[in-house]
Amino acid sequence: MKKYINKIVLLAAIVMIPAISFSQYCNHFHKSYCMPSENEMFKLNGQSKSALFSKGQTSELNIIVYKGQDYRVSLCMDENLGSQVKFKIYETKKVKVEKVIETKTMEDEMKTCGDCSGSGETDGEECYTCEGIGEVATGNEKEVISKETKVVVERQKQLLYDNSQDGFSNEIEFTVESTRRLTLEISVPGGGGGSSTSGKKGKLMKSSDMGCVGVLVEHMTTPISGFYGTGF
Amino acid sequence: MKKQIKIVASLLVVLPLVFLTSCGGDDQIEEAIEDVVEDTEAEGNETYYQIPSPDEMFGFIKESGLEFNGELLNPIQNADNYTDPKMQALNFGIYSADLAYTAAFEEFNETTKYFGTIQKLAEPIGLTSAFDKSLIERVQGNLDNSDSLVAITNTSYFAVVDYLDQNDQGDKLGIIAAAGWLETVYVVANTTDYAKDKAAVDRLADQKLTLDNLIDYLDKYKSNEDVSEVLGWFAELEAVYAALPEEEAETGISFKKKDNGKMVLGGGSSVTISEAQFNAIRDKVNEIRNSIVKTEA
Repeated sequence: MKKYINKIVLLAAIVMIPAISFSQYCNHFHKSYCMPSENEMFKLNGQSKSALFSKGQTSELNIIVYKGQDYRVSLCMDENLGSQVKFKIYETKKVKVEKVIETKTMEDEMKTCGDCSGSGETDGEECYTCEGIGEVATGNEKEVISKETKVVVERQKQLLYDNSQDGFSNEIEFTVESTRRLTLEISVPGGGGGSSTSGKKGKLMKSSDMGCVGVLVEHMTTPISGFYGTGF
Repeated sequence: MKKQIKIVASLLVVLPLVFLTSCGGDDQIEEAIEDVVEDTEAEGNETYYQIPSPDEMFGFIKESGLEFNGELLNPIQNADNYTDPKMQALNFGIYSADLAYTAAFEEFNETTKYFGTIQKLAEPIGLTSAFDKSLIERVQGNLDNSDSLVAITNTSYFAVVDYLDQNDQGDKLGIIAAAGWLETVYVVANTTDYAKDKAAVDRLADQKLTLDNLIDYLDKYKSNEDVSEVLGWFAELEAVYAALPEEEAETGISFKKKDNGKMVLGGGSSVTISEAQFNAIRDKVNEIRNSIVKTEA
C-alpha cells in the first residue's frame, strides 16, 4: 500500500511541477536573451520586464526616463512569435481637461392640472395628485438630460517612435533632455485578432501561439561631449 | 503495474527537457514544451507600471555631489519591532533603499549591516529564496569593491522584484516598491539644499511623473486592504505634487536624430518647483515615511 502511495505522490509531483515551472516560464528572459549594449557604461535598469505573450496580443510597459540620462531599450522574443514584433514609444501625460458630462434620467411626464389651474388641490379624479403644484403625472416617462461641466484628469498619448517605420528595429538608444513618462507598446503580430485582443482573455491557446517577450532597459549618465575645462 | 511504471519513466524523461528549456531554445525542445503548455490560459492585453529602482536615484545624487547622511537611515535595531506583515513589507522596502544608498556611497560597513537586516526581514515575508547562499557570499567577498557591491545589492533587489512578480504577489511588490521609492525621495529631500542643488531639486520635482506610475501600479491592487491604505497615503502626496506647474517649452516634444546621429528626446513640458513647494513635498514625505518606520516605544 505504502508503495502505491509513494508512486501516486511521485506521479502527482511530476504532473504538478511543469505547471509551476511554466508559470515562471518567462522569468529573467530579458536578462538571458536581450543583447546588452557593448558600451559598458550602460547599466541594467530596474524597469526592464519580461512577459508571456500570445500572438495578436498588445501590451504596454510604462516607464520613467530622466533628463540627463541616456537610455537603450531593446526587445528580444521567442522565435515562434516572428521577427516583426511591433514596438511603439508614446509619451504619456495626465492632463486636466474640462468635460461636459451628460447625465440621462427618466422622469414622470407632467401636464398642467386644469381644474385647479395649477394653484391648488381638488378632489376631482383628474387632479387628485395635484398637491398644489399645478401639475399632474400623465403616467408616461420622459428622458431628461442634465449637463454638468467637470474638470477631469485624462491620460493623453503622443506617438514618438514606431519601429515599423524603422525596419522593425528591436533596439533604440536615446538621450533624454527632459524627464518623461513613456509608454512602450509591444504588439505581437498574428493571432488573427489585429491589435485588440481583449476578447482573448481566458481563451485557451496553443503553445506555438505563445512565447516570451523581454524588454531590456539600460541607462547611463549622458556623456559630456566636446572639450571642457579652461585649458592652458 | 508495469504500465504505470512505464508512464512514470517516460514522464521522468520528458521532465528534465521541460526544466532545461527556456524561451528561445532549439526546435526539438520547443516540441516538448508544446505538448505540455497546450491549453495554458493565454494572457490578455496587459498594462505594466514600472518604478525606477533606488540605485538609479542614488547613483544620480552621488554624481550630483550630494553627501551621504547616515542619520537618515532607518536604524537596523528597529527591524525586530516590525511584527505586522504590512509594516514588515513596507520596512523591507525602506531598508532596501537604505541598502542601495549605503552601497552607492561606498559605506561598506553600513552596507553589510543593512544587507543582513533585509535578509532577516525577508524571512517573515516569504522572500528568503531571493537571498541564496551564493549571493550572501558574493556580498561578503566584495566589500571593498564598490562597483561589485552596487551590482550585487541591485541583484538582490531585482531578485525580490522578479520573485514577487512571477509569483503573482503584485500587491506585496507594490507595497515594497512604494516604500523603497518613498525612502529615496526622503533621502533626496532631506539632503538637498534648494538654493544650491539644482539638479537634485529638479529630480525631486520630476518624481511627480514617477508618482503617477506608482499610483497607477497600486491602483491595480487596491482591492487588497493594505495596498488600499498605502494608496491613500500616496494620494495625499500626489495632491501636494499636483501644485507643481508644468511649463511648456517653446517647441513641442520631439524625438529625432541630432547632428551627431544620436536620437534625442526633448522639448515638451517640464515640471517646475518653488522653494515653498519643495518644503511642502519634503514635509509630506517625512510625515508618511516616519509613520512607516516608527516603532512602539
